[in-house]
Amino acid sequence: MKLLRQLIFPLIAVVAAFLVGAIFVLLIGDSPVETYRQLLGNAFSWPDGIGYTLFNATPLIFTGLAVAVAFRCGLLNIGAEGQLYVASFATAWVCILFGGVVVDVFGQPVNYSIVSLPAIILIPLGCLTAIVVGALWGAIPGFLKARFGSHEVINTIMMNFIAVALVSYFTQYHYKVPGDPILETAPVGAAAHIPRLGKFIPGLPERIPLNLAFILALIACALVYIFLWRTKWGYEIRATGANPTAAEYGGINVRKQIVLAMAVSGGLAGMVGINEVMGYRYRYYDGFSDNYGFTGIAVALLGRNHPVGVIFAAILFAILSRGGIFVDAFTEHVSKDLVQVLQGTIILFVAAEAIFRGPFGRFGLLKRSKV
Amino acid sequence: MRKYTLLTFLVALCALALVLAGPACTTKGSSSTDDKSKIHVGIVFDIGGKDDRSFNAAAWVGVKCAETGKRPDGTPCENKKPLDIVLRDVEPGTPNAIEPAMRAFAERNYDLIIGVGFAQAPIMEQVAKDYPNIRFAIVDGVSELPNVASLVFKEHEGSFLVGMLAAKTTKSDTLGFIGGMDIPLIHRFETGYEEGAHAVNPNIRIIQNYVGVTDSAWNNPGKGKELALSQIGKGADVIFTAAGNSGLGAFDAVEQAGTTPDGRATHFVIGVDSDQNCVKPGFVLTSMVKRVDNAVYQIVLDVVNGQFSGGIHVYGLDKDGVGYAMDQCNQKLVQPEAIQEAEAAKQKITSGQIKVTDAMAK
Repeated sequence: MKLLRQLIFPLIAVVAAFLVGAIFVLLIGDSPVETYRQLLGNAFSWPDGIGYTLFNATPLIFTGLAVAVAFRCGLLNIGAEGQLYVASFATAWVCILFGGVVVDVFGQPVNYSIVSLPAIILIPLGCLTAIVVGALWGAIPGFLKARFGSHEVINTIMMNFIAVALVSYFTQYHYKVPGDPILETAPVGAAAHIPRLGKFIPGLPERIPLNLAFILALIACALVYIFLWRTKWGYEIRATGANPTAAEYGGINVRKQIVLAMAVSGGLAGMVGINEVMGYRYRYYDGFSDNYGFTGIAVALLGRNHPVGVIFAAILFAILSRGGIFVDAFTEHVSKDLVQVLQGTIILFVAAEAIFRGPFGRFGLLKRSKV
Repeated sequence: MRKYTLLTFLVALCALALVLAGPACTTKGSSSTDDKSKIHVGIVFDIGGKDDRSFNAAAWVGVKCAETGKRPDGTPCENKKPLDIVLRDVEPGTPNAIEPAMRAFAERNYDLIIGVGFAQAPIMEQVAKDYPNIRFAIVDGVSELPNVASLVFKEHEGSFLVGMLAAKTTKSDTLGFIGGMDIPLIHRFETGYEEGAHAVNPNIRIIQNYVGVTDSAWNNPGKGKELALSQIGKGADVIFTAAGNSGLGAFDAVEQAGTTPDGRATHFVIGVDSDQNCVKPGFVLTSMVKRVDNAVYQIVLDVVNGQFSGGIHVYGLDKDGVGYAMDQCNQKLVQPEAIQEAEAAKQKITSGQIKVTDAMAK
């Protein structure tokens, strides 16, 4: 029964959003049935549908988890976008520096590396870079909040701009292959490529970019669950989120928890870089993120800040983002902005739940959960 | 008790969904999409989208003419007959949506998939490898796969001609050039423009600026206007823009510079890609048009006639792939003598007597 109660509001929100969307589709002049068939039907075909849906879901699981961990500490991490950008760039940088000879866009072999490491060392190193750099970038606003009390929402938003500008500057002026018309770095060494799942699953072609990072995302979900609910640190983070004053009275170092939660959050967001750089494009591609950091907020909200919820919410949003393209292409009038309408309405309804019954008013949803 | 009200609510919503959806599906049957006998064409636009009044818009005109014989605004296409095709388009909006969009068409076995913009070239390379039986076309990009047609333009030749017109028009012997993103493709416009101007008068000075180094450089009219005003401040009186949407800022700048008492503008701008002469009539000297519409229409026609060939398709002055636009909005601005000289140069370029430097040639 407890589980049902947890599920019912997100479900209502999704169904209601689809109804609202159907009204829009009717007004625009297409058939809602056909439109929704395009939107949802293409997500479950084998192998392209399922492969791409899970691939699209991977970054959203990471950012959803990132936002959820911060939520649990009473913090709103709007900075996942910036964290994943710096982390992705750093991952590419490390994998180029230690990747050995690569073939550039013109088909010429070039060597940008100082030393060529084998895959068994380079892959863990690349993953670690993504996590550590993301965590550092996330810890900065955490530290500013803990030390000076400056609000994390403002700081994370501003650090997004810094992150995007910084990595785009480095890409353009220092790490782009001269003559490449596209704003991207040189490719990373082949030793840094993590295998695509097509290697292991029969029937799944290797061209589908679904890769080991998806498995890593599922493992991250399990670890976050254990961290938050089965460790002392997780308990302290949740206690801080529930009531910082009481937590402090109970002997918890609240400032430390804020920095810790933001660092963990940033590290999770940074793991998007593993999927993007080591699993998909094998280079840093400027502007690659399809607002993953911001969609992560919606994913965490819909998933009720729980790792399992985050997985399902991320898959739903991934279905929508894939389906949007089919709607755009194969319906007469409806554009893929329908997906934005649906996402927005889902968030609206989920947030409305807090208004319905949250005892803490506007932010009830964020703080309501029991420690 | 409350649980049940929630459930009731949910059931009611589902019922409502059925009611809404029920009649709708009968009103509209399956459209022409499923007619397998027709040639299916899918086009994937660049980030700018099909309403950018420039590059993407031209590609949209080409495929729309192939589908209906009419331009998107409803006016008939000259020399382009409808080809009875099924046309579908996607505006990806983000770089990440380009590959799935191409694959969406490929999964459904489309006959021709067109990608617009150089940024799509590496993506198309991947997709085209996975679907060797589907024909692809890339505008402004180059691929060596046998099933990909690369549609490229000799922008330097068209820019040479507008450079001549600019040099014949300037009174200060100073010209301006505003590029969008600082990439080799745009340098091609710049060098052609310079050479054209210097062919008329070797002492002409050219001030050049670029809006930026990222994708956003195509979409920053504020910065475009700022650059244009500073070039005007340094004496430039004809400014050529190759900056997508940012170029429209330069249009504002020359308008702001005003007119002489007899109504002639003191400063002019030269538009790019589409015919932009009538965007600000009286202030636009001409436009360096890049006939993406012709190239796109031609490749659709090739597929319909079964004559598709991969490789590089070059559109220069000889095939009317590039050129300068003359119409009612600018015919009083350009001296007839200048046009004569430009036409003479055009002959010489197509016959090979004049070689315009291609900044992208290695």
